Amino acid sequence: MAVTLPSRPRAVPALVCDPGAVQDTATRLLAASAQVDDLGDFAGGRARVGDWAGPASEAYHAEVAPTGEQADAMSLALRAVARRVDDHADALTALLTRRGDLDDRRQHLAQQVAWCEREAAKPLTPAQQDELQEDCRRVQGAVDVHGTDVATWVTDLETEEREMKEAFTRVLDLDAVDRLYGGVEDPADAALDRKPGAGASPAEVNAWWESLSPEEQQAVMAAAPGAIGNLDGIPAGARHEANSIALERDLADWRHAEEAGVITDDERDWLANAEAAQRAIEEIEGRVDPVTGDPIQAQLYLYDPAAFDGDGAVAVSAGDLDTADNVAVVTPGLGTDGQSAPYQADRAATLYESSRYLGPDETNATLFWIGYDAPDNVPWEMEGFDAAGVATEGAAEAGGARLADTVDGLRASRDGDPAHLTAIGHSYGSTTTGLAAQQHGLDVDDVVFVGSPGVGGDTDHASDLGIDPDHVWAGANSRDTVTWLGNHGWVHGETLAGAGLGDDPTEDDFGAQRFQAEDPSRGDGRSFDQHSLYFEHGTESLANISEVVNGDYGDVTHADHRHDPFLGDPEDPEDDADVQTPRTQPVG
Amino acid sequence: MEVVPVSVGRAAQAWDEQHLDLAAAAGQVGSAGSSGFTTAVAGTASRFLTTWQRHVERVATTCEDRADGLRRTMQTYVDAEGTTTADIDALRPYLVEER
Repeated sequence: MAVTLPSRPRAVPALVCDPGAVQDTATRLLAASAQVDDLGDFAGGRARVGDWAGPASEAYHAEVAPTGEQADAMSLALRAVARRVDDHADALTALLTRRGDLDDRRQHLAQQVAWCEREAAKPLTPAQQDELQEDCRRVQGAVDVHGTDVATWVTDLETEEREMKEAFTRVLDLDAVDRLYGGVEDPADAALDRKPGAGASPAEVNAWWESLSPEEQQAVMAAAPGAIGNLDGIPAGARHEANSIALERDLADWRHAEEAGVITDDERDWLANAEAAQRAIEEIEGRVDPVTGDPIQAQLYLYDPAAFDGDGAVAVSAGDLDTADNVAVVTPGLGTDGQSAPYQADRAATLYESSRYLGPDETNATLFWIGYDAPDNVPWEMEGFDAAGVATEGAAEAGGARLADTVDGLRASRDGDPAHLTAIGHSYGSTTTGLAAQQHGLDVDDVVFVGSPGVGGDTDHASDLGIDPDHVWAGANSRDTVTWLGNHGWVHGETLAGAGLGDDPTEDDFGAQRFQAEDPSRGDGRSFDQHSLYFEHGTESLANISEVVNGDYGDVTHADHRHDPFLGDPEDPEDDADVQTPRTQPVG
Repeated sequence: MEVVPVSVGRAAQAWDEQHLDLAAAAGQVGSAGSSGFTTAVAGTASRFLTTWQRHVERVATTCEDRADGLRRTMQTYVDAEGTTTADIDALRPYLVEER
């Protein structure tokens, strides 16, 4: 009796595409649709000249109305195609994943078929033949199921391709656009009419957003990205999408103006900030999660390239702020502005990597936040003191209020699913963070000060921050000159001509938990260079910050506090401590 | 004679801004790229992008035409007999396209 062998599994057709590039196409089309939508708004508003009368005025206004109506219809049509392209990118990603699974199954089945063929070629007893025949039947069944799955996959791909092509072709000409979208109300308009006014709390904003249908949310993101992109209470994913559209549009506008030779000085600054924001996103997306090996997700949480007289405001997250178990908000210090975004993105990504490496069972998001007008000059880099007086708290006070609002927004957008939230202030950013806590009730679980020149003049003890002192953490490299600028003992800098930024949070009197933060490169003397090493891989500081961010307090390595005797200079027990080099990322 | 107020000049400048922004948007559509699509879709995508680049360019041109039309109206008013010096001085900054 001859054994009936199973057929070989069907090959899975190739699928050559780039969902990321398709996603980029969708983003560009959405940005262009937002621009066309602006024309519709303009034609119905500012283009009308109310104090002009007469025949010429009537002729002009008669022409303006149809221009606006056409723009509105074109905007809706382009937005619909962009959304379909966005969905197409997701569909292609899913099809690629399914194809990979099908191909894995095909290879596995091919090995089983080959085994059957080899066994059948051997001399077999009748009993062995029966047994092999049963194996062959089982393999044939699996081959048949695989073949059906491949056929389904092919059908799904063809359906997806056909629907994408139909979306492109149905609004190819403007007659079709007018027929399908002329006079159609933009769902964004009604949604924006219900939007709470300026001064609404993040919770009120969030309630409004959650009351919108998915269609209305999509419409608002596309038509009015500026209305929600930086609005506290809107979920980070939606803010990212809106801000990405705004960023894409700004880059196109200002690069075009530059090429046309008509860019203004202000626009040149804004363009530089927009390009820095884009590089920050690329910096994060170019890194990989140490646990999954996947690219790290970036979210553009704050984007205002013209803020603070052109210094710019920007915040980008490494990781998903809407879902992460542990969220960290890092506030940088002096000399930080919109153009610092790529440098700060590197720090955020490094902290993300370390936190994930040390706590692989939980998810993380690390947001660098340049949302306040940090003083421009860095005196310890010999740039001198600016007119505003960098050694005072003015900018930090204003920044503290903004930081507290930002944290309230993060909290409101995750009502019912709160993250473990840590605010980290570095350098002058620690002053800002301290003032946010002391003056505005910063709603975080932990606060971390590193490289602090002082945490605000009215804060004499960790308990003044409104946070359990057990959750107030401070790290200072003993060689970091900046950390010696804070108040020690009874000598208070802010009493000296208004200079000084408050107490050193690592001093024993302050009552915070001090962690080890020495850098292996430290020398014998104090140095400003040591001030910028707290977020480097393989340092005590990064490891300890990561443990706090993850809520793994038992793994923090504590350091003895600084002490200021009544007579003599302040003393730091870490001066003579051995420096550790903990692992904060995978080998290689 | 029909008086042309300064607000017409400001509207002309605003149309110029719309022209500039929409020309950028047209470039954005044209450069959006179809290389990420499968070969079955790429041709249709490419045709859509090219066609829509032209659509948006035409809208941009319309904006420029509106701005130019308003400037011609202002120029005619400035050149007419009887226009006051004050009106001429007020409109003069808007007679030339800046961008």
